[in-house]
Amino acid sequence: MTSRRRFLAGLAAASLTPMRGWSAIGAPDYLAAALFPDGSYRLAGLERGGDILFSLPLPARGHAAAAHPHRAQAVAFARRPGTFAIIIDCATGAQIAQLEAPTGRHFYGHGVFSTDGTRLFTTENDFEAGQGVIGVWDTEDYKRITEFSSGGVGPHDMRLMPDGRTLVVANGGIETHPDTGRTKLNLPVMQPRLTYLDQSGEVLEQVELPRALHRNSIRHLAVRADGLVGFAMQWQGDTSQHPPLLGLHQRGDELKLLSASEADQSTLQGYAGSIAFSDTGDTVAITCPRGNALHQFRVSDGQLAGAFLLDDVCGLGTGPNGFMFTTGTGVIGQLTATGAKIATRSDCQWDNHLIPIRAAA
Amino acid sequence: MRALVLALSLTMPLGAFAQDRGSILADTVNAHILPGYSALSEATEALAATAQADCDPTSTTLRTAFHTAFDDWISISHLRFGPSEAEDRAFALAFWPDTKGFTPKALTGLISTEDTAIQSTEAFAETSVAGRGFFALELMLYDPQFSQLGSEDYRCALIQAMAKDINLNASAIDADWEGYAANLTSPGEASPYRSENEAMQELYKALITGLEFTAETRLGRPMGTFDRPRPKRAEARRSERSLRHVELSLTALRDLAARLSADHPDIATDLDDAFTAAIERAQSLDDPAFEAVATAQGRFRIEALQQSIKDVRAIASTELGPTLGISAGFNSLDGD
Repeated sequence: MTSRRRFLAGLAAASLTPMRGWSAIGAPDYLAAALFPDGSYRLAGLERGGDILFSLPLPARGHAAAAHPHRAQAVAFARRPGTFAIIIDCATGAQIAQLEAPTGRHFYGHGVFSTDGTRLFTTENDFEAGQGVIGVWDTEDYKRITEFSSGGVGPHDMRLMPDGRTLVVANGGIETHPDTGRTKLNLPVMQPRLTYLDQSGEVLEQVELPRALHRNSIRHLAVRADGLVGFAMQWQGDTSQHPPLLGLHQRGDELKLLSASEADQSTLQGYAGSIAFSDTGDTVAITCPRGNALHQFRVSDGQLAGAFLLDDVCGLGTGPNGFMFTTGTGVIGQLTATGAKIATRSDCQWDNHLIPIRAAA
Repeated sequence: MRALVLALSLTMPLGAFAQDRGSILADTVNAHILPGYSALSEATEALAATAQADCDPTSTTLRTAFHTAFDDWISISHLRFGPSEAEDRAFALAFWPDTKGFTPKALTGLISTEDTAIQSTEAFAETSVAGRGFFALELMLYDPQFSQLGSEDYRCALIQAMAKDINLNASAIDADWEGYAANLTSPGEASPYRSENEAMQELYKALITGLEFTAETRLGRPMGTFDRPRPKRAEARRSERSLRHVELSLTALRDLAARLSADHPDIATDLDDAFTAAIERAQSLDDPAFEAVATAQGRFRIEALQQSIKDVRAIASTELGPTLGISAGFNSLDGD
């Protein structure tokens, strides 16, 4: 009931202020998409205890979202290969705008706002060329301004670096085309890479995996306050191999790949869904829904610090004392120094990602 | 290092109630997989020998040997695990789709520089997978662009090198299956499959991905969109094998489905009926390279074939999948 009161209070406050901020709607800590028990796909605002502060309907199954840095607005993306994204006023649930991917493009399901909130960047597929692009949108009217190359094929997650200027893109390397659904068209020649770009599209640095791991698609990202980038991967190669699914990169350095023991690693089915750093930044974790596992590593020495069995775990974000996670079975939980514990259980099937709201963090 | 393990919940595998899977696994390996790879190995040996004796791209005997071996590949091309994936053998046998024209680029590169890599099997095996295998050989035999390029001697030697490389890959897969078969028929500690259920799931996955590849890629690529059909994207269109690949793959997948559902006669019947409908649609097409996707009428018929394959897939996933302990996790099955 608390959350409902907070939500209503938020609405009342919101009606008095022209530009509503996150605090006006009860200061949610996270956004997450889910399939709700009534069969609707919704975007929910969660607070760190696991309470759902609000939920807003989505036209189809969601994937990730991004929160505007100060306005109580979020962009919610359809699952790839969706061609629209919607901007939601999280105070009222109203749709403020709908972004349509230009002809010949579709979204990959991730995007990021600029630090000042005036621009939105989206990862997209130029599917005739089989090349990734970054779309640039004006957040005043949500019109498209321009686009530039993502520096690779199949860009998926994208984050803003702590300098507030540099974009880091997970170019997953996998080519798809809407004519052939989710079929991966280029596995024998795929080449994932991590690309650093400035906001005009100039490539500042590119990092590739060793040749033997060229079928390890770099998909999701987390960035620590000092600029250390964590990336989660999805293995597209021989299933009898169990390569690392987590990597770390500091600009100018070599990549570091982190792996559990072969026995643990072999249960993951080559698939990591989300990645996050802990609140202190001392540990980094990946969720592995196919292996029903969450693996936590120490950043200092790259060693596994904990492996947790969690059914269909996928959403993961930095938490107040470690991490927050969500599962496809309805659990919202916390991972702290004392272990993993369930905060709430609901009938919602939480989707891939749990997105911290920066302004509230 | 101590890994802390905490079980918050346990999944009850639906397949826990299933009966002994041993006979199904043994039957699928012995009557579906091993004979398929053995046939491919023999046919590619014949192809290599034929090319050695006669490398004229228009030669009927060479083209016949090419078609026979290619047929045998398509009939097992859904079995993408284990020996086929070692050393990129399957990709080296069949580089398709080729969205960025890597195969013609690789061939042009080899021929125009008279690359000496073709003189040794080891060196040729190190060249790009795009310039090897059935699809590269198809261009050499059927694409006019490559019947004139460079010198005749080099083209001949290239065709012979390709045929030999195809045979080496096919026989390596065949030989490795001798040992790999036990992983499926005797799952456990010594096998990548820890239980009969896991072994069954590998075979089920081959069925599902085989159906999806045929519907979405073999048909979906040339279909393109209604406004923009793409007949030139049809698989192996130059040798007019596009529709044939659909028929061959459906026939092979029907055989696999029948074996996997052997202990569930109702499901076996549903699957077989759906396969029959799809194969009959394919056989009634009379459009070997899917050129008709460019016409409204032709496209409609190919779309109907695609739908009939999607129907098979729906039956497999809703009826057969649950009997094998495949429970679709919200995030785990169709991840992103």
